[in-house]
Amino acid sequence: MSGAGRADAPVKLRGAAVYGTDLSAEGMYWGALVPSPIAHGRIRSIDLAPARALPGVVAIGADEVAGLLPKGAAAETPIFPKEEVVYRGQPVAAVAAPTRALAREAARKVRVDLEPLEIWGSIDTLLPEWPGADPPRIGALNAHVHARHGDLEGAFRSADFVLAETYRTSGVHQVPIEPHACLARVDGELWTVETSTQTPFGCREDLASILGIPEPQLVVRGSWVGGAFGSKGSALLEPYALLLAKASGRPVKLQLSYPEEFRLGRSTLPSVIRIESAVRDRRVVGRRVRLVLDTGASLPGRDFTLGYSAGFLLGPYSIPAVEVEGYALRTHKPPFGPHRAPFVPQCTFAVESHTDHLAHRLGIDPVEFRRASVWTEGATTGLGQTVGPFGLDAALARAAEIVREWRATGPPGHGIGVAGGFWSTGTGAGGEARLRLTPTELEIEQGEREIGSGSVIRGIAVGVEQRLGLDAGAVRVAYLDTATAPFDSGVFGSRTVGALGQAAEKAADALRTELGRRCGVSGAAAEQIRLRPSPEGLVVDLGDRRRAVRELLTPEELARGGLRVEGRHYGRSGTIDERRVLEGSFHPFNDFVGAAHVAEVAVDPEIGSVEVVRYAAIHDAGRVVDPTTARAGIEGGVAMGIGTALLEETQWGADGRLENPSLLDYRLPTLAEVPPIQVEFIEGYPGAGPRGAKGLGEPPIVPVPAAIANAIFDALGVPVGELPMTSERVARALKRL
Amino acid sequence: MSAVPAALKVNHRPVDLEGVPADERLLDTLRWRLELRGTKEGCRSGGCGACTVLVDGRPTLSCLTLTRELDGREVTTIEGAPDHPAGRAVLEAFESEGAVQCGYCTPGFVMALTGFLGRTPRGHRSTERLLRELQGNLCRCTGYAAIARAVDRAGREAP
Amino acid sequence: MSSFDLVAPASEEEAVAWLARAPTGETAVLAGGTDLLNDLEEQRIAPRHLLSLRRLPWNRWSWTGPALTIGSTTPLVDLEYDPKIRSEFPGLIGAIEAVGSVALRARATLGGNLGRSGSASDLIPMLLALDASAEIVGPSGRRSVPVDALVVASRRPALDPGELIRSVLLPEPRASAYLWQRIRPAQDVSHVGVAAAFSPGDGRWRIALGGVPPRAIRIHPGASELPGRPSKAALEAAARRAAERLPLATDLRATGEYRRLVAHALVIRAVEAAGAMREGAP
Repeated sequence: MSGAGRADAPVKLRGAAVYGTDLSAEGMYWGALVPSPIAHGRIRSIDLAPARALPGVVAIGADEVAGLLPKGAAAETPIFPKEEVVYRGQPVAAVAAPTRALAREAARKVRVDLEPLEIWGSIDTLLPEWPGADPPRIGALNAHVHARHGDLEGAFRSADFVLAETYRTSGVHQVPIEPHACLARVDGELWTVETSTQTPFGCREDLASILGIPEPQLVVRGSWVGGAFGSKGSALLEPYALLLAKASGRPVKLQLSYPEEFRLGRSTLPSVIRIESAVRDRRVVGRRVRLVLDTGASLPGRDFTLGYSAGFLLGPYSIPAVEVEGYALRTHKPPFGPHRAPFVPQCTFAVESHTDHLAHRLGIDPVEFRRASVWTEGATTGLGQTVGPFGLDAALARAAEIVREWRATGPPGHGIGVAGGFWSTGTGAGGEARLRLTPTELEIEQGEREIGSGSVIRGIAVGVEQRLGLDAGAVRVAYLDTATAPFDSGVFGSRTVGALGQAAEKAADALRTELGRRCGVSGAAAEQIRLRPSPEGLVVDLGDRRRAVRELLTPEELARGGLRVEGRHYGRSGTIDERRVLEGSFHPFNDFVGAAHVAEVAVDPEIGSVEVVRYAAIHDAGRVVDPTTARAGIEGGVAMGIGTALLEETQWGADGRLENPSLLDYRLPTLAEVPPIQVEFIEGYPGAGPRGAKGLGEPPIVPVPAAIANAIFDALGVPVGELPMTSERVARALKRL
Repeated sequence: MSAVPAALKVNHRPVDLEGVPADERLLDTLRWRLELRGTKEGCRSGGCGACTVLVDGRPTLSCLTLTRELDGREVTTIEGAPDHPAGRAVLEAFESEGAVQCGYCTPGFVMALTGFLGRTPRGHRSTERLLRELQGNLCRCTGYAAIARAVDRAGREAP
Repeated sequence: MSSFDLVAPASEEEAVAWLARAPTGETAVLAGGTDLLNDLEEQRIAPRHLLSLRRLPWNRWSWTGPALTIGSTTPLVDLEYDPKIRSEFPGLIGAIEAVGSVALRARATLGGNLGRSGSASDLIPMLLALDASAEIVGPSGRRSVPVDALVVASRRPALDPGELIRSVLLPEPRASAYLWQRIRPAQDVSHVGVAAAFSPGDGRWRIALGGVPPRAIRIHPGASELPGRPSKAALEAAARRAAERLPLATDLRATGEYRRLVAHALVIRAVEAAGAMREGAP
């Protein structure tokens, strides 16, 4: 079994896969959004008339929305702002026209008259230091979380030394190569959107709340997805496209241009991080961390990231006394959005750089220093959660071997760094899958789309194939819309195999039981049932005899496309010790997935440029479901992490303008910047997935910026402390400037 | 003064340029006029390589090419890759090395590599040159590792 | 309906005649289009007429003794794949390979680069270091102008109305090197580009620094200041003086002081790299 020969490769290689950007329909109009030209302002007027004067153009604004929605529909949040715009590029109106060029022209013709208001721009100047610092006062506070445990004052008072450091991180964008795109239509009561999404049901839920239309009247159908990485997890264009379809009476295609993708897409924004550690007898006895996160125009209470990522700032280590505090600030930038492992690579960069600096100060090998306090099963986190099976220590031990080997073979002057990292999967979010057995084939009917990682097209099929004794690739995955598919939470959080995959396996178990019943066997005998292909179609192998599937299906089932059985999986979430929480809410970890990465860099000491020359990623995978797919996902995550570490940065002006909304000025790694990546797996620390599998979607990116930072520190002896570590920042760290 | 435009050929089939507006880009002609949507629209500004096609055998960015500029020339797209000797080897290499994930960048990579291999005999296909040819193609899923393996294989196997 | 019309004359005379009649301010000249089309897409310009050079026989090159004349519409990729140009003008190839990607260079041209890019050009520093001149054709015939005098700033070549860049002349092969610094090594805008070439004719180095508006700076150190085979100290001093001439310009890519730091280091490296190619020079 392998990713090679994956079932989606042929259609994609023929150029026949229909992505969101490829969607089209007879008589289709193109939509375009009218952006706010400033980041904060009071709306004086928005004049649609000049757009409407163009032939065939339909234009809608805040005043039109209510008339387009069904009677009684109660939109929760305004689709277009009525009084105030809160970020530059915020859609204030939308147009549809027979051609794309005309739609763009019409959008430009809309006259937007705004009274400028004060702009909360950058948080870069904040210094969130202790003690005595006030809460940050730039922008408004969206959320505040605070937790503590243990005798922190005692730990700091009796410390041999305290290391206090500040880190800064820049905004990074997901940049799927396919921009957001969808096709909407309204037929009578039914509002349908085909879209490039990683969560069709989540999109339907968002639409129901944004438009106030009941879910049964909304249908979301996923297209092929040209990359997502968190950016295609909630409704973005779909509400506008549906309203334009309603207003024009035509199917409407809406697609973001790349500059719009940068300006309108929900991406990660800048942060400032403070970490202070009290060290006694060569161990960290107390740690306090403070995260100040720019959450843009996110609404209060909507932010999940802060209470989730702040917990990662303490690191995967047992520390007797801890304090963690997080501030989410509202600024006039687009709302913060999840980017592969939302904000955890940044937190890991800070805490794992800090860990290396502590080891350096103590004169201890950094890997040995980590291993002295790294969590193992049964340890307790700073928030009082008990750690489950966790292979980070084993991964670190292997990393130490790789470091020794590379030190012996690498040229002098290169730096080698190690970072550990962990991730908590989203397997608590449930899912359902349905198997459809016909005389000739077995299919999984479900509502997700494959987003590239293989977690749908391979991940959920593997367990079914193994359960039923079928060859790899024998089970087809069908993509249904939300009206016909059983519910699933979405492709995110490394949960797909763990939750939807288990739902499919449970459906396979139920299918075996049902086939056993029809063949007159039950219990252990039914568990031995296998499906076999034969020239006449599928047969049920009962060990001592075989029955053709055709004979076992009822006439009704044959007429309705086969026998259908469903499986459900709703996992449990972990729990934290709420007594440690002073304010806000922290999120528990669901599953503990560890990874240790090793980076080797060549640094130009004159001008500061950094080249990653070798890379190793050792992953605690629980049990590897599909080695080729797992390896490919890790290679991709490392490359993305190299971007975060060295290249990628959204550059925001004080006026809330994104200064670099293009692929020339926002730099993704090319193959020239990605070195060979050695991938290894640690097994034996089972997770919540099928037979102990752990999710691998996010973990590969988590330790990358930290590992590269530690390699640079090893080469130069000075920390850079800021992401991305561009050559200029490295040169500054070297005091060349 | 401008003469009647000579035909453009796309995957060996002539395309009449008469009705094509002067400002139409090859990318849009392929995707919306000829319904060949295997060529992908990414950044539309020359930064991602997803729209790469061959013009007279050379990898070219279809987003930065006006269709009417191509009178008398031959365009090959991903839909025509199976009929291209090097293209066939590239497609097989991408499939067997698992170099396709979300697949959105794939047509651009396939055409960039096909163009190079089609014009470069064996013995001149050093790994370094192969990789340099593909630096304009961005991929966000694979980390380029499986693509590099496919490039290597195609370099060995393409005629 | 197109926002502009596209005219493609079949001869140089037709092109010049058409351009002479064209309404000024409403016409743009299209070579490869890699830069122009982005300006059109982003509505930075809105010409009514595009004059396409594609049918002119300007897409080839010729040798006259040691001198190389490159037609202005020659795709950069053609130059890069030519073994003779590669061996005679290594620095030019280095600069060409710094421009975009292979697929971009299939359309991008030398003439387009001269006509449109200023500070961001990787080619102009090298053309300056090679003492290149451009042949211009216009209503009053042909004239030759040094690249140094032609390129003033981005999208503002020093051309009279109705004039077109016909070709670029490189007078002699030179040991040469082009080095750049960027945030991303592959496919990025260089925040500093350094071209160095040694002229055996007068025994002097040409150095040009790019990356800062309005355009690259040409530095022509004296033979005593920077001898053909300079000592470490002489090279270091010349590099320092060269870097100091780079304006302190800060933008999204880099600060001015960082640019100077990089320029200083790259001048040394470029002269050393070009010097290593030389044989039998004084």
